[in-house]
Amino acid sequence: MKQTLQTATLDNGITLLGEFLPGVESVSVSFHLPAGGICDSLMPSSSGHPCCGLATLTGELMLRGAGSRDSRQIVADLDNAGVQWSQSVSMSHGSIAGAMVARQLPEAVAIFADILRRPTLPDDQFEPARQTVLQDLAGTEDDPAHRTMLALRQAHYPSPWGLPSEGRSADVEALTLADVRRFASSFIQPDGMIIAVAGRIDWPDFVARMEQLFGDWPAAPVPPVTNGDRGSRRCHVPHDSQQTHVAVAWSVPPYRDPESLKVTAALSVLGGGSSSRLFSEVREKRGLCYSVSAGYQTHRDLAAAIAYAGTTAERAQETLDVMLAEIGRLPGSITADELDRVKARAKSGLVMQQESTAARAGALARQWYHLGRVRTLAEDLERLDALSVAGIESWLADHPPLDLTAVSLGRDPLEVPDAISA
Amino acid sequence: MQFRHERLPCGLDVIAEIHDAAHSASLGFFVKTGARDETDAVSGVSHFLEHMVFKGTDRLSAEEINLRFDAMGASANAFTSEEDTVYYAAVLPERQHEAVELLAAIMRPALRAEDFDTEKQVILEEIRMYDDQPPFGADDRCRAAFFGSHPLARSVLGTVESIGLLPVEAMREYHRRRYAPGNLVLAASGAVDFAALVESARRLCGDWEPLTAGDRTAAFQAATAAPPVELITREQAALEYAVRMSAGPAETDNDRFAAKLLAVILGDESGSRLYWDLVDTGQAEHAACHHHDFLDAGVFVTQLSCEPEDTPGLLGRILDLYAEATGGLTAAEVDQARNKLLGRVVLAGERPRQRLFSVGLEWAHTGRYRSVADDLRTLDGLTRDDLERVLTAWPLAGSAATVLAGPLTTATLTA
Repeated sequence: MKQTLQTATLDNGITLLGEFLPGVESVSVSFHLPAGGICDSLMPSSSGHPCCGLATLTGELMLRGAGSRDSRQIVADLDNAGVQWSQSVSMSHGSIAGAMVARQLPEAVAIFADILRRPTLPDDQFEPARQTVLQDLAGTEDDPAHRTMLALRQAHYPSPWGLPSEGRSADVEALTLADVRRFASSFIQPDGMIIAVAGRIDWPDFVARMEQLFGDWPAAPVPPVTNGDRGSRRCHVPHDSQQTHVAVAWSVPPYRDPESLKVTAALSVLGGGSSSRLFSEVREKRGLCYSVSAGYQTHRDLAAAIAYAGTTAERAQETLDVMLAEIGRLPGSITADELDRVKARAKSGLVMQQESTAARAGALARQWYHLGRVRTLAEDLERLDALSVAGIESWLADHPPLDLTAVSLGRDPLEVPDAISA
Repeated sequence: MQFRHERLPCGLDVIAEIHDAAHSASLGFFVKTGARDETDAVSGVSHFLEHMVFKGTDRLSAEEINLRFDAMGASANAFTSEEDTVYYAAVLPERQHEAVELLAAIMRPALRAEDFDTEKQVILEEIRMYDDQPPFGADDRCRAAFFGSHPLARSVLGTVESIGLLPVEAMREYHRRRYAPGNLVLAASGAVDFAALVESARRLCGDWEPLTAGDRTAAFQAATAAPPVELITREQAALEYAVRMSAGPAETDNDRFAAKLLAVILGDESGSRLYWDLVDTGQAEHAACHHHDFLDAGVFVTQLSCEPEDTPGLLGRILDLYAEATGGLTAAEVDQARNKLLGRVVLAGERPRQRLFSVGLEWAHTGRYRSVADDLRTLDGLTRDDLERVLTAWPLAGSAATVLAGPLTTATLTA
């Protein structure tokens, strides 16, 4: 199947990415600005407090008035155009995205351009926006698996990469409208911005439209983040619950490293599908838990392999022990059948992504952010085909999973050996 | 898109919505069984059985099943609800045959006693996991309070006690009765080869023992007096989680479509009356209203999460919002909600996996096919009068069951 990938760059540095997908009526557009939670660390607040949550609060307030529209009008106009849209803030990016029938794209991008370029950041909406962020933070307090992952990231990554992009209540309480306005003027800008569109697209029309909406937006480059210390490598969060949640992490190369596909393949063998080792050993053979998995989490320059399980307090130690044994056993033990299954699953995933314009637009933007280019489906499939057991094993032999970060959340702390051995 | 249907002599319905431009095929067995088809003695058996289906057949071990799904690159899973148990796999078109073969094989599981004992531990973990999570069982308790003695009162997961006591023989008997071919639908969507699908089904399922499943429906009459508000106290929780259920149109009622559009206006996750009043203002973490239709009953479910001490006041505010809506819907908000839903229907129509669930469940429940075009036409035809009629016939502010879970205690609630 012939694939049509397009790229263009505006003078102010905005990257435009496009892919025509045959057989769909819809189009999805996705805006990614380098205005994520990491920027909180670049912003000492007016009151001298840390600003963890400022990017999230800014994102929330930006939706509450833009151009001539108030918050209700923004939502009414997007709903009336049948746009399924979402806004989010991750560690590296602030994003806004929408999926719609192709003819509604001009209406939707005009509204998104207003939100990005002409947010009114209204005074009377500041307190409700702050309360909304605080409500969300209170909600995450009740989600033990989420809290476990937050604790893991904090313990594993060097500061400030381990901070929660959704914020911390005490910091959010101390933020002011002036902080939000300073954040918006410093970080909501076109340098490093990516706009991806996928589906039934008219590329020349899209480029012209983006030029018209964003071409005269002056860039103000963002200073780089300085990495600080890592947290303590062992952490227990006391929580009165029936289940204990355990998570471990170790450092692996980021997505843009040519070796990263070997890492993700090895992690898929460990905990990717229902035939994976963790699922098989922890859940299927021993019935120790309902949810257990391993996966890969990447920033541009840092990445982690993460394994997780939630289980009854009494069986948590055994669960952790089995997980650690499987992680330790991984180097030198991957079979050709396992790799074939990893390839089959990855190939299906890549091909099926072509059926979702939203998934495709998001994937284009992510690839550009990490690689500075977009790979074709054919190229991705070729890379998969080229993977060999020997290649993965050779990498694992040089980089065995040692120096683990381990966290637990539940009634009692667990015992974690200092190092794991194969 | 083209729809095809064929019924095999054993009673199995094979259906497909074929979309040649799709990159994948989604396939699934839709079993017309769920919590409502259980008795006290086997509470939770439908869901437990859903797990056991993956634990092996006479010829295949659990490991081989997992290996084969992963080897074909399938995105395979299953779920159980009050009325349905669904097993599905999304695969590349060239894997259709393999996927059907494996799905059909696991519909006849071995149900070995030793696997049953191991998997029981996994089920108990799943029950504990949900018990630790919002809404801390409030949804199950609310359904039980609302439906009373009706079969829809039953819990899908069952309880630690009911699962602990369940004997494997009871599951085997349940499986024999409920997984008879006439009680199953084999559905497919996307880039499907229908002739090959029917041929596979004939060969793989043709000799399944045909048994007649009885009528599953039961008359439902919502209580005229609301049951007392129930509390599940979780001292450690940060927020209070409220679930409220009141009666709505059933699946057999044409007003089910108007009820869904109404729920979007009242309580969609964003842009609804509840959203602007409670969430946008930062008073609640979450406030939403959904309509669910079942075979013989329907419910409007209201969910609220907020600071514990605000809960009674905000629940009262929600009832005021519902009362204000009666006779007070505007043409603009009906159009906005309609446009929003039209967009959702079109986008969902492009995903074979989403279409599989829509097409399969509709057929399993009504024996009819509804295309994306049918859904769009129905939505286009709805008027404000239709929504007003639903509001009058099913007053959301009226009698309802309410359950709160969180730090509130009886003492703090009445103080």
